[in-house]
Amino acid sequence: MKVTRENIIWESHQKHVPTIDEEGGKLWGCFRSCFLQSAAPYTEGIAYKILKNDLGIDLREAAGHTSCGAIGYHGDVTNIETQMVVAARNFAVAHEELGVDNLFSFCVTSFANYTEMIHLWEEEPELREYTAKTLKETTGREFWIPHVSGGRPSVVHASDVFYANRHKLAEKAKYSLKGIKAVDHIGCHYGKIFPGEAMGGVEFPQVLVGLLEAFGAEIVDYPERRHCCGMGFRQCAFPENRDYTASSTYKKLASLKEAHPDCNLILTNCPGCTVFLDAEQGTIKEVLEEEFNVSILDYAQLTGLMLGYDPFKDCGMNAKVVPVEPLLDKIGIPYDKSKTFEERRRPF
Amino acid sequence: MGKLVDELKQDIQYQHGMNACLNCGICTAVCPAAEVYEYSPREVMNICHTEDEEWLIDLLKSDKIWFCGQCYSCKPRCPRGNSTADVILALRRLSVRHGYFAESEKGRQQLFAKRVFGENMLKRGYTLTAENITPEHFPELGENWEYYFEHMKEMREWWDVPMDKENSAGSHRVIPEKDMDELRAIYKATGAIELMEAVEKGMEKKLGSKKEVEKYWENWLETADSRTYEMKS
Repeated sequence: MKVTRENIIWESHQKHVPTIDEEGGKLWGCFRSCFLQSAAPYTEGIAYKILKNDLGIDLREAAGHTSCGAIGYHGDVTNIETQMVVAARNFAVAHEELGVDNLFSFCVTSFANYTEMIHLWEEEPELREYTAKTLKETTGREFWIPHVSGGRPSVVHASDVFYANRHKLAEKAKYSLKGIKAVDHIGCHYGKIFPGEAMGGVEFPQVLVGLLEAFGAEIVDYPERRHCCGMGFRQCAFPENRDYTASSTYKKLASLKEAHPDCNLILTNCPGCTVFLDAEQGTIKEVLEEEFNVSILDYAQLTGLMLGYDPFKDCGMNAKVVPVEPLLDKIGIPYDKSKTFEERRRPF
Repeated sequence: MGKLVDELKQDIQYQHGMNACLNCGICTAVCPAAEVYEYSPREVMNICHTEDEEWLIDLLKSDKIWFCGQCYSCKPRCPRGNSTADVILALRRLSVRHGYFAESEKGRQQLFAKRVFGENMLKRGYTLTAENITPEHFPELGENWEYYFEHMKEMREWWDVPMDKENSAGSHRVIPEKDMDELRAIYKATGAIELMEAVEKGMEKKLGSKKEVEKYWENWLETADSRTYEMKS
């Protein structure tokens, strides 16, 4: 029997995420993303609607949970000790106050951050002790570690929950991606820091491809598929560094255009990629007069479109730089054509 | 071996991120930053490996350690299981603690990181807030974003993600003060406040006074480009 490299890697990078039909799969706690709620708030909005209304999940979040702080950590204003105790606090808040055992985050950097802290606690018992002690001293709370995937100490990402329930979502879909070429762009912090925690690993991640395939899309490949979008924390945050971001996006999209000029859909699961792969196409158009017109949708936005939610009011397509209408036309998703481009985007 | 090298070796992230580097250069080959900046993660690993105090100081004073985008593309590809991105974090914190960051253009941007990501966390419990994503600092988000920014509250309600709700779950909610107190206590106990203060102190020393630091900050807010501030030395 011929065993392909993909299969071997897939076998060694499986992680279990409970579906809504399994025990614990209908009750989830979640952590908000400070990046999304600042730069693309509608993506969490549509994710909430799908998880609650279409999958029937009892989704809980504590008013008192905070950002994981990892933008500050990768932006060098906190110590690793800070990240450990903040992570432990958010876990304790979810477990004590909401009674949840299964947790996911909407941000891939939060997912990587929580995963990193859990790994540290496993590998360095004295850091686990330090965290439990400092958590108790600063907040009075008890140390608790979630075991979301396969009984191991772990958390998962929101896109993992969509992936786990992809067939249920596809059954409910009003539209199909049949005949549509699409490709995934996995957030670096989803797969590259801890490939063992990514669905399918970092070489052949399946989390977004699986969703696209469930909706019928034809997956294409291109040379720079795994190149970073260029978000880069302090690189995108300060305008004077953002040529780094624009250059990375250019490199990717030029590579995609060369390989598959008719692919106009990239699916993302990271806030940074969702925002900057789209926005920098505007910069590239202005500076180089080159247009790629590739729609960058996040997993929840795409699922929302497939399920028949309003592209603008529910899925937030009105805040994208690349016009989404050509893609909607291609898929056959209706929208109000009596309104102008501006009217669809500016309701007030 | 010098004191700085000893201090670097104490950092758990350095310990985990730096095994015997074989100097193969795969990290540099896959690095997005190496492609656009005068930057080589391999060179960074090399300098660390020499444990030469003077080379290390030069590195900590340079722009080089600030070029990394923290994407960790280097990590899964390293045949020895190193993580330059983690070593970079250890180096950056060392640079901040000793004030070397203020010697380089990219290093001085730490003032913005501290006053945006850091202070946001202490004030609101978020590293980023909706008000940070201004059309002036993020012009590439385009005219639709300008429209959103002018109608932020209404637009967010229209999208069903209302902001600044108190004592409730939700997007961009106001986190209860008792929870904020816990967060601030963690930041203090774990040395984050001290690290942030080192940024202010380092900048004050480099620019000459607190007043100059404010000028540097105001100039950045206004022009979105720190290079328009004229350095005296």
